[in-house]
Amino acid sequence: MREEKMKSGQTRDSEPSQPVEKAVSLVLRSGVVLSAAIVCLGLALFLAKGSISGNTRIDATMPFPRSLATLLSGLVVLDPASVISLGLVTLIATPFARVAVSIVAFALGKDWRYVAITALVLGVLIAGLAIGKSLG
Amino acid sequence: MSTFLVEFSQLLAVSFVAGAVGSLLGLGGGIIIVPIMTLFLHIDFRAAAGASLIAVIATSSGSAAAYVRDRLANIRVGMLLEILTALGAITGALLSGLFAAPLLFVVFALILMYSLVPTAQKIFFELRGKTPSHEATQSAASSRIALALKLEGSYFDPAQGRLIEYRLRRVPLGAGIMYIAGLASGMLGIGSGAFKVLAMDGVMGMPIKSSTATSNFMIGVTAAASAGIYFSRGDIDPFVAAPVALGVLAGSLFGARILPRIAGLGIRIAFIVVISVISVQMLLHGLGVGG
Repeated sequence: MREEKMKSGQTRDSEPSQPVEKAVSLVLRSGVVLSAAIVCLGLALFLAKGSISGNTRIDATMPFPRSLATLLSGLVVLDPASVISLGLVTLIATPFARVAVSIVAFALGKDWRYVAITALVLGVLIAGLAIGKSLG
Repeated sequence: MSTFLVEFSQLLAVSFVAGAVGSLLGLGGGIIIVPIMTLFLHIDFRAAAGASLIAVIATSSGSAAAYVRDRLANIRVGMLLEILTALGAITGALLSGLFAAPLLFVVFALILMYSLVPTAQKIFFELRGKTPSHEATQSAASSRIALALKLEGSYFDPAQGRLIEYRLRRVPLGAGIMYIAGLASGMLGIGSGAFKVLAMDGVMGMPIKSSTATSNFMIGVTAAASAGIYFSRGDIDPFVAAPVALGVLAGSLFGARILPRIAGLGIRIAFIVVISVISVQMLLHGLGVGG
């Protein structure tokens, strides 16, 4: 829908759009759509369960997972907070996926210098997760 | 209506506006959301920062998808500089666990005020009709690093009706500012778009529109680098982060449609007005005056 509209406005592009750009754009869009869908599902589940009392503040609604293990065990019993958190974790994972896909795309283009640079970015991201886990 | 639904709707509405404005300015929406959540909705600073980080990832990914496809965002430049912003973000997230909230507010305000100065100077020169002949000096001065790493690009500017080409210079200085941008992002839960744009537009000589688009592209990775630390600390409350992320996402898609049609100078003027107001508010709150 939106895509077609923008394309018709692009009279400029004589050169074909590069695979890196295409892949990155696709990953970003799918990650966002997927996570938004999961978050909405979780919110619907929350409202359906009717667990909102009169004056519960939004930042003190109910306990929520802070590790993937508790998140997964919450999903098994369809805990709304865990489903919403899954959507948020999917969103956090989107940039990781974008970087990973870029490594492949640069490799296909035999741009080895940028394969190394992008791999370094992924390494730093993973280090951030590991540090978070060691704190939690 | 229950308190929950009222606060949920408020967060959703505020986040939509923040997302639209943030995407338009390359700010990521975080610097608008964090003050509103903490000052007006009385949400704990770290929960606000955690929700903001999520929102910032949504903004960046949502609008960057369009910028990347339209070749406005420079992927090579973004990837290279993300090494620095991600390292900075991890450092910042660790520091945010150590600092008291008022100190975080003051740091926030000072960072924003500092980032205003060079942009304001530039606008002042342009308003006087004395545009520094950017593109002429640029290719001559572009560094060996920029050449070796192919830090160059081009995009079509509908406002000027022509292809704009550029090559970066002063890459090490720009990279250093990117580390500070990451530090601010991880510490305060913001995208640090202001600093990223400053590094690319102000230091490395990238045109403002490419800088803004590339900044938006980088913000997601920067925020994701520290989001894991916030998540493990329990600072990402799904009931706060969900409306913020959804609102910002919708707002950012709205903003991304408008940006390519607006001239560079207008973007920077809006940028300055928004940041001035917010930085004063943040400073006053941090110092315990008002708020």
